[in-house]
Amino acid sequence: MDLLISSLSLGLLWSIMAIGVYLTFRILDIADMTAEGSFPLGAAITARQIVAGVDPWVATLSGFLAGCLAGLISGFMHTKLKIPALLTGILTLTGLYSVNLLIMGQSNISLLGRVKTVISLLPNMSTSSAAILIGVVVLALVIGLLVVFFNTEVGLAARAVGNNEEMSAANGINADNMKIIIYMISNGLIALAGSLMAQINGYADSSMGIGTIVIALAAIIIAEVLVANLSFGMRLVTIVGGAIIYRLIIALVLQWGVDPNNLRLFYALMLALFLSVPLLQKRIGQRRRRQKNIAEMEADQDD
Amino acid sequence: MTNALELRKLHQFFNQGTVNERHVLKGIDLKLAPGEFVAVIGGNGAGKSTLLNSIAGSLPVDQGQVKIEDEDVTYETVAKRARLIGRVFQDPQMGTAPLLTVEENLSLALLRGQKRNCWSFGVKKKQRQFLQEQLALLNLGLEDRLSAEIGLLSGGQRQAITLLMATLQNPALLLLDEHTAALDPQTSQIVMTLTAQLVAEKQLTTLMITHNMADALKFGNRLIMLDQGQIAIDVAGDEKAQLTVPDLLALFKHKSGQDLTDDRVLLS
Ligand SMILES: Nc1ncnc2c1ncn2[C@@H]1O[C@H](COP(=O)(O)OP(=O)(O)OP(=O)(O)O)[C@@H](O)[C@H]1O
Ligand SMILES: [Mg+2]
Repeated sequence: MDLLISSLSLGLLWSIMAIGVYLTFRILDIADMTAEGSFPLGAAITARQIVAGVDPWVATLSGFLAGCLAGLISGFMHTKLKIPALLTGILTLTGLYSVNLLIMGQSNISLLGRVKTVISLLPNMSTSSAAILIGVVVLALVIGLLVVFFNTEVGLAARAVGNNEEMSAANGINADNMKIIIYMISNGLIALAGSLMAQINGYADSSMGIGTIVIALAAIIIAEVLVANLSFGMRLVTIVGGAIIYRLIIALVLQWGVDPNNLRLFYALMLALFLSVPLLQKRIGQRRRRQKNIAEMEADQDD
Repeated sequence: MTNALELRKLHQFFNQGTVNERHVLKGIDLKLAPGEFVAVIGGNGAGKSTLLNSIAGSLPVDQGQVKIEDEDVTYETVAKRARLIGRVFQDPQMGTAPLLTVEENLSLALLRGQKRNCWSFGVKKKQRQFLQEQLALLNLGLEDRLSAEIGLLSGGQRQAITLLMATLQNPALLLLDEHTAALDPQTSQIVMTLTAQLVAEKQLTTLMITHNMADALKFGNRLIMLDQGQIAIDVAGDEKAQLTVPDLLALFKHKSGQDLTDDRVLLS
């Protein structure tokens, strides 16, 4: 039961970050490594402000905005300077490592004790129930706003850019600007997840971003493998499910006795496996059809 | 307004300054009056697509000038020029966004040349009837497929919708680059007829590249033949109307000093 609740609370947080990654990954077809820097950036900004006594919601919002800024930088380098997307992400992520240390002044800030966080604003609840409540509310807000945004004039144009850049330009859409907007929203959400994570875990750490992209992609792929062909809004909802399932798998593995030091190796192996599932499914289907066909052809010959 | 399109001393090079340098457009001067419908023909590699790409902005112009409706657009991006230009490509995949619905694609085209904002929906309910009426004009039964993903439609259907999208906003200039070449003969004729109908109805100034000589003679009120980056033949009005395919071949031989021996120039 504990395992379920903790997986649920962490899974909900991870899904905010996975939704962020989904925007660049599926709309722009870019695996944006900036995520690994914007996640701890959100945590760092928020932790620093909370320690200084800033209202936790304001601190959380600052974390989100800082992530948008990180996205702006990567988006600018990718579109205006034409640096390949993978490299852009690595550049921003590397730079952010120093920036995050600079913001925090040390490699770790503790948020335990008397500081006010979004969790401690809900005093009569346990940390995990508070985390679940906040996760659900924030997710509902995020998914609702994203669905509305991607149906506005600008949002529709942004989707078109990801789908067919040539056509978008021919219809007067500035592709660079649309990509930058998506980069910004994406990294804003990832930083928001980092900010909430710091408050729930009770600390911000400069290395907490490692593995972000792998976790997020795993959640996305689980969602896509389990349910195919969905509308944008429904896809976001299934990503929440994907993140929770993924977290549950990891919790089970940990309980099973895997050394936490080996966890990242496990993340990587699992994502590699998930990424190959669609191909495996196709191969198996192909083989079945082939065998059926061979059997039918042989039966035909016998007649 | 005097000219819908004016090209002055337009040059286009590829791989300039290397051993592979190709001088593809060699000083094109061209003026189109408003409402002119020009068929552009020429052998493979004559520079037809390069010409259209230079006008549309997908190939930057280093030498010469491009003016649309007397506005100098030489240094404007494709997206910026789009307010003046409607375009249909040869590849039916290229003109529409496959994962978006028919209605979403058309709505995108409705906003061509306007500022897009974040406070109104991209697809507007009150425009639905108008879009349905426009689709009905195509006579392809697409009017009740508004919410179908465009990627699921056939090439011909997609091309017809692209044509509609390109003309929905009455562009100052319509650019068609072999827009029926990838379609089967029957669909190709449907889309050609549709093109002529839309161009006439909206009095659009049009540049249409085609490899089909018969189409080039049948459609439009002016004909241009490009040869090695230059305009070799330019006929309009009655002179064009009376032209036959043999005339055209003879004219080409006279102008360029060689036979037009190109498999892709269909004589039928
Ligand atoms: N990006 C490029 N780089 C180098 N050369 C190019 C490029 N694009 C076109 N060319 C060359 O420029 C010349 C003109 O090409 P263009 O595509 O304009 O011909 P076209 O008249 O449209 O021919 P087609 O009838 O085959 O479509 C060709 O010789 C082509 O090889
Ligand atoms: Mg061409």
